[in-house]
Amino acid sequence: MMAWLRHQKHALGGALGRLRAQWLGTLLTALAMGVAISLPAGLYLALGNLARVAGDLPAQPEISLFLDARATDAQKQAVDARLKQPDIAKAHFVPRDRALEALAAAQGLTDIAAGLPGNPLPDAWIVQPKSTARDDLVRVADELAKLPGVAETHLDSVWADRLQAALEAGRTLVWLLAGLFAVALVAISGNAIRAQVLARRDEILVSRLIGATDRHIRRPFLYLGALQGLFGGLAALGVLAIAGAVLRGPIDRLASLYGSGFQLAAPAGPEIAVVLGLTALFGWLGAWLSVTRALHQVESGR
Amino acid sequence: MIQFSQVTKRYPGGHEALSGVNFGIEQGELVFLTGHSGAGKSTLLKLVAAIERPTSGVVSVNGQNIGRLSRLAVPYLRRNIGLVFQDHKLLFDRSAIENVMLPLDIAGLDRRESIKRARAVLDKVGLLTREKANPVSLSGGEQQRLCIARALVSRPALLLADEPTGNLDAGYAADIMAMFRDFHQVGTTLVIATHDDRAISALGGRILHLDHGRVEAVAA
Repeated sequence: MMAWLRHQKHALGGALGRLRAQWLGTLLTALAMGVAISLPAGLYLALGNLARVAGDLPAQPEISLFLDARATDAQKQAVDARLKQPDIAKAHFVPRDRALEALAAAQGLTDIAAGLPGNPLPDAWIVQPKSTARDDLVRVADELAKLPGVAETHLDSVWADRLQAALEAGRTLVWLLAGLFAVALVAISGNAIRAQVLARRDEILVSRLIGATDRHIRRPFLYLGALQGLFGGLAALGVLAIAGAVLRGPIDRLASLYGSGFQLAAPAGPEIAVVLGLTALFGWLGAWLSVTRALHQVESGR
Repeated sequence: MIQFSQVTKRYPGGHEALSGVNFGIEQGELVFLTGHSGAGKSTLLKLVAAIERPTSGVVSVNGQNIGRLSRLAVPYLRRNIGLVFQDHKLLFDRSAIENVMLPLDIAGLDRRESIKRARAVLDKVGLLTREKANPVSLSGGEQQRLCIARALVSRPALLLADEPTGNLDAGYAADIMAMFRDFHQVGTTLVIATHDDRAISALGGRILHLDHGRVEAVAA
């Protein structure tokens, strides 16, 4: 156990020393990794921010319920009672006179509203069901439409549905890109480690001759790969931080033009940890593949 | 300790380095391997250290069949064998003492204990004053002594030396042979491939003469 710990410490120290000694190469590799990772990570952040914008908008689906102009008071009370059921979160009555006032107040429609002979608008309810699942919404809308005295219901979720679908597609794209760039990361790490293995060919050969196990020989390279991956992850976060700082001004201006208090959100702690953990893992994996292959080459004398 | 029975080693390409070799070496023995270059001396040593595997026959070291040894078991066999190479195989990216400590690092020894043992063995080969030197700055004889120090630092029961005095002038060669005699006297088993006749007559010990891959004579 003590020997094992000593081996780890020795390998980690050796790897750190080597990275420091070849700081330019370390920096360039970290940058290559960082730029690669910052693409999916940046897209992920952009989508997260977009989803927050969408959340600020009335994405909460609503059902508009229009009463028949000939509906009796009893029918209206029945509708009223139905809208007090527990599956309805909120229901808000819009009398036809108020609807006409709202129409008249809307820009450019004053003349049209004034020119109307009577009020053509029906009484209406704006209904927010408790469940926002697509199937539940359709079911509630259908049920309300069948009540006597109800002319029709209209489900206002098409726009929200489209936005959600677009975000969903974006998220799938993020995972796809993340997968691709993970492969790139393994390749970059593997290549960097391969050069290291070849540069230390003599040490590997001598170590084998005096009784080093494969694990012992691999260990410093695995640390090297993991550390290199970690630095790549840090570089990616740096790239994102710079991009965020550059974008902050224009986005604040855009948000203020829309009268929104929206601000770019930075990645949260757990997200940062996941990025660093994954980059270290893939750096390690690249190193493992590379060193295992190189070991066989070195030993067979090629 | 070492047993060869009907050992043949044929390299890819058809060259037969050893043909049906039989011999045994007891614990604590001092054995010289002699013969012209290409007679199979290096191959024989490589078979003992599992650097090569026999094409046929059985090589056994400490009761272990080398031909059947798994790749994972090879490192543990080698930790009990000190290897001295004609070309030293020193690492020039570290100091003399770090070269000597390499086997101890591999075995996972405590660093302070490693330094202590490395200093002791450097003292024995007369290089303690050069412990911080890079091996490049050492003479041929000093490099060879450093290689011997590295082979001995883990206190192996068996030392294999391939032409340890091959590139050295007579004075250095005599020094190194005297060192081997000391190790033999404390019980280490030594197998030394050489064609330095003076060394053999100075140290005594058994002679295993190889000729074209066959053991010609086993002289006392």
